[in-house]
Formats: sequence, C-alpha cells, structure tokens
Amino acid sequence: MNALLTDAIFDPIRIPLDRWFNDFINWLTFNYRPTFQAMKVPVEALLDGVSAVLLWLPPVVFIALVALLAWRAAGWRIGALAAASFTLIGMVGLWGLTMVTLSMVAASVLVCLIIGLPLGILAARSDRFQGALRPVLDVMQTTPAFVYLVPVVMLFSIGTVAGVIATIIFALPPLIRLTDLGIRQVPDDVIEAAEAFGSSEREVLFKVRLPLALPTIMAGVNQTIMLALSMVVIAALIGAGGLGRPVVEGLNALRIGQAGIGGLAIVLLAIVLDRLTQAFGEGSAAKRG
Amino acid sequence: MIRVESLHKVFGPKPDEALRLLAEGRSKDEIREATGDVIGVQDVSFELKPGEFFVIMGLSGSGKSTLLRCINRLIAPTSGRVLLQTDDGEVDVAQVGPRELRRLRQEHLAMVFQRFGLLPHRSVRDNVAYGLEVKRVGHAERVRRADETLEMVGLGGWGDVLPSALSGGMQQRVGLARALATGAKVLLMDEPFSALDPLIKMQMQEEMIRLQRQLGRTIIFITHDLDEALRLGDRIAIMDDGRFVQVGAPEKIVTEPRTAYVADFVAHADPTGVITAGTVAVPPEHQRVDELRREPGARVLAHRTQADVEIEVADDGRVLGMRADGGGAELVPIDTLLAEEAPTSRYRDRAAVVRADRTLRTLLAARNLCNLPVLVVDDEERLVGLVTEREIIHAIIEKRGHNGDANVVTA
Repeated sequence: MNALLTDAIFDPIRIPLDRWFNDFINWLTFNYRPTFQAMKVPVEALLDGVSAVLLWLPPVVFIALVALLAWRAAGWRIGALAAASFTLIGMVGLWGLTMVTLSMVAASVLVCLIIGLPLGILAARSDRFQGALRPVLDVMQTTPAFVYLVPVVMLFSIGTVAGVIATIIFALPPLIRLTDLGIRQVPDDVIEAAEAFGSSEREVLFKVRLPLALPTIMAGVNQTIMLALSMVVIAALIGAGGLGRPVVEGLNALRIGQAGIGGLAIVLLAIVLDRLTQAFGEGSAAKRG
Repeated sequence: MIRVESLHKVFGPKPDEALRLLAEGRSKDEIREATGDVIGVQDVSFELKPGEFFVIMGLSGSGKSTLLRCINRLIAPTSGRVLLQTDDGEVDVAQVGPRELRRLRQEHLAMVFQRFGLLPHRSVRDNVAYGLEVKRVGHAERVRRADETLEMVGLGGWGDVLPSALSGGMQQRVGLARALATGAKVLLMDEPFSALDPLIKMQMQEEMIRLQRQLGRTIIFITHDLDEALRLGDRIAIMDDGRFVQVGAPEKIVTEPRTAYVADFVAHADPTGVITAGTVAVPPEHQRVDELRREPGARVLAHRTQADVEIEVADDGRVLGMRADGGGAELVPIDTLLAEEAPTSRYRDRAAVVRADRTLRTLLAARNLCNLPVLVVDDEERLVGLVTEREIIHAIIEKRGHNGDANVVTA
C-alpha cells in the first residue's frame, strides 16, 4: 500500500514505457517477423546437423570417443570421469535428451564463436568500437533471461531453435570480452618485432595476436559453454527439448525424482565440458611455459 | 649503404608548428609550452659505409631508440630522409608506400630488440624462420636457413625447443639469428645486450665481433653503455637530448671529448681497450727522449726515465738494436711473447715490439713481460715511439696521449 502511495507522487511525470516497449516489439513482430524467422534457418540447420550426428552415434562409440579425447587433452583421470559420467547418464535413462542438450550447446557455442571472435578482434583494434560494444554486452549479460524470453518467443516462436537463440544471446558476451582482453594483452614488443620483419596486419593478427591470446580466448569459450548449459532449463520453458524438459515437467508436477536426475545429468555434462575446455586452454598456455 | 639526412621526430599534436619554431631557433622548452610537442630527434644526419659498425650511445630519454625506429619506420619520422641503398637504387624509407615498406623490412632492414621480442608459442627454429616466412620463402628452405643461422650463433640443435626454455643470453642469440637469417644487409640493434648479466653480455659482445668479422653487415647499434660502444663500434655517435653531440672513432671520443657531456661519460670508461699504442708512445722528437749520440746512418736514443737503456734507430726509422746493462737486448714481437707458455717475466734482455694500432691493454701486457721500454712501430717496422710506465699511467689517468700535455678538456 505504502509503495503504491509513493509511486503516486510520480504520476504527473509518468511515462508509459511499458506500453512503448510493447508497441515496439509488436511493431517489430508485425513488420520483421519473416526476417527473424529467416535467421532461424542457419541455426536450425546447424542444430539439426549436430544432433543428427550425436543421436546417430552408438552410445558406446560416443563414450569411447569422449573418453579418448579427454584422456589425450587432460589425462586419464578426466578421461575416466568423462566415461563414467556419460555411462551414468545412460544408466538413468537420459541418453537421448542429453544428446539433444549437447547439440543445443554445441550449436549455440559455434554460433557464438562465429559472431564473437570477429567482434572481439574488432573491439581489440578500436577503442571506439569497444566503447560502443561494452554497454550492449552489459545489457545482454545482466538482463534476466525471463525478460527476453517473451520477445524471443514473439519473434522466433517457440521450440528448440528459439531456445538456442536465447542461449546465444546470453552466452555470447564473455567470449567477446575475453577475446578482446586476450588480444589487448599481447605484449607490444612481440608485435613490434613482427612488424619490424615486414609482417602485414593480417600476419600480425594470425601469427602473433591470436596465438598469444589463445589461452584467454579459451577461457572465454569455457565461460560461454558454461553459460549455454545454464540456459538449458530456462530454454525448456519456451519449448526447447533436451534435459531442461524433465526438470521443468518435474517441477510442474512435483516429481522430484524426475527433476533430480535431469539436474544431475546437466551437472555431469557441465563438469565434463568444463574440465575438457580448461584442459585445452591450459594446453595452449603451457606451450609457452 | 644507408644515409640519414636531417631527421626530425616530433611527438605531439602540432609537429609542423614545432618544426617551424625549431628552425627559428627556439628552445625545446619554449616549443613544448607553445605547442605541447616534444622533440624526440632533432636534425640527425649520418652516413654509413657497407660493413660499418655504427654505435649510437646515449642515456635513456636521449632519443636513441626513437632514432633507430625512424630508420625502419616503426616510428614515422616527422621530417628528413632515410636513404637506403638497394639493388634498385636508393630508396627513401621515410617516403615509400606500405607495401614497399614491408618489402624493405623483409629484405634490407632486420632488427634485434632489447627484450628479445620472440614469439613464445613458436619453436626456436620457427622464430628464426619468421622473417623468411613473411618473405614467403618455402618451408624446406626456411628450415635449412634457420638451422644454418642457429649453428652460426652457437645454438645448433636447439631448434625444436620453445624460447622460454632458454636463458636470456640464449634467447638473444635467437633474436640475433632471426635478424641474420633474412639476409638483410642492415642490422638495427636496440640495446640488444642491456638485459643480460654482465658476464653473458661480454660473451655476446665477443660473439658479435666474431660474427661481424665473418658477415660484414652494416650495423646500427644502440647502447647506454660506453664501454660496450667503445668495444664494438667502428664509429660512435654520442646522443643527448635528441641530437648527436659527437661522432667519431672510439679513440677520438675517449681522447678528445668535444663537450663536457661526452667528457663526463668518458671519465668512467675503461680506456685500455680503446687508446692505441701509437697515441700512448712518445716519439723520438719528444722532450722526454734524449739523443745520446749520432752514428753513421743511425741515432742512439734513450728515454729519460730509463736513461741507461740505449736504443739504436736507423735514419729510415727502423730499430737496429737495444742495449741494456752492458749487453744487447733481443727485440721480440709482442704476440710471440704472449704466446709463450711461461713468459720469462721482466727480464732486461728482451724488449717487446708493438704495432701502433694495438691498444693500451697490449702495452700493459708488454710492460709486464719486459722491463725495458716498449718499442711501438708502424706497419713498416719504423719506430713510432717509446713507452714506459710513465706513458701508460698518463694514458690511463688522463685518457689521452702525451701529445696533449698542455691542458685540454677536463670533465
């Protein structure tokens, strides 16, 4: 009651921002929905491709491949952890959903890389671009996911692809920020040396800046993957498939067990992906001692 | 080979205005107040012959690193020309377009850096091959030349390791190899040994002298260490406040410092490797040398501090003999004495003969081996002069020859 009374003080200068926002989204939907729908096409194709492969692979082969990769990249402990995690996921009956989630994560991270790396490189080259980009990234990172789920649904409708697009928006910022940071941290003397030997700007970028920024960029990739995984449950609210679905359904129907194993599978997936990407990041850092 | 003409570098918002004021003869402080500009390099000109080792020496902030970077345009000069002799004639590095600039850097101007500037993610071999890689040299040829150059700098077999596995001195050898591998005729070296331990630094200097004798590149070498400059340079430029205050051979810098600033430096330098025997020796005409008597076709001389030693010199200048303690002393070239395994020290039956272009250090060694005046001779074995303790001490303390006994500059 008190709060409402206080709010009344502002009535003379009140602006109907909520309505404007509403109108803006409606206008966008009415005029540009086909454009946004078209943007779904490449994402959908990517997602379908990845999930087709993952679902086609026999689980035994998949587990063997992941264990092998983890072993080579991070040692036998992580290899064993990966094998055990995926076996457990299969044992609790969530193999198919996990593969769907994994392909959603993979598709969104791939799109993030395609968008984020060039933007990060540009941001590192230009202070002005960085300055313009920063508030946008802040908004992307701090806006609660539930707030932009509605516009996403209006523009992209519901389903797994819409979920992936919401995930991309949420997971993109750290990759851009850390690519920018990594490139800016490359020591000037190394760049000067490369220039003194007649390198072109392209060569400085690809032979010096990016390789030296790689550990930091990998930290960004790791962050992006973790954020993408954290969107799995939220994306299920707008009809995305995968491990979020049993969690949301379990919550709605108060089936704690179902929600619990869904959560367990997400955590296991997160741990394995985190260890793997960290190992890749450290691998590229360890090379320079 | 390379000619720098009236090079200026102004840092700040109004470089043209600053140059105009500079031409009017305003001071740097006035210019800074009027325009906010700082003069980094002011009116530097010099010309290098092929194979010359040119050292630019100055304290930090003297503009020496800026000057070096103007030569390969890592820093763009504000005005002036940097003329480089190439196969297609003379090119002004300050004026060429970006593509041509890259080509000049690839083909003609290699650089070595104080902090090495190696690529940490590449093996030593790939670092050395970097210049060839941007020159688009094929892989096999690159590897061959990189390994060859590594061998040359004493790092054969280290090609596969990463730079971080090497010590500072070894890393700078890699930096040097990278610059040598491109085959560039001009080598720009920006305080390459400053970051190294004193002992390693000495080794690298010796290595540099050896390599230069072998390769004969044209080198511009920056340092803040006068002893290093004296040891390496064919010619030295002393730089202060953006200008060259004195340019000359190492011995001239030490024996005839032109300004108090240079004299100050020289006061702390070690002269023994710089001052030549010819400068130290007193000529027969000097008041410290007495003519005892004339003989047919010859004169008999004695140094005043060792009046009992008679030296017979033919009229054409050749030394005929030396007599001490009633007997003839044998005249032995210094290198023969030094090569002896256990030199018979301080005997008065042998005298050392030293060429005029050898250094004070050689004289010290000679005087240590024989207690007779050292004979300094020219290329045709004619007597240039005599050296006793007196001349050596004088040269070390005063850092000049006896000729300037009259008061010259003191710091």
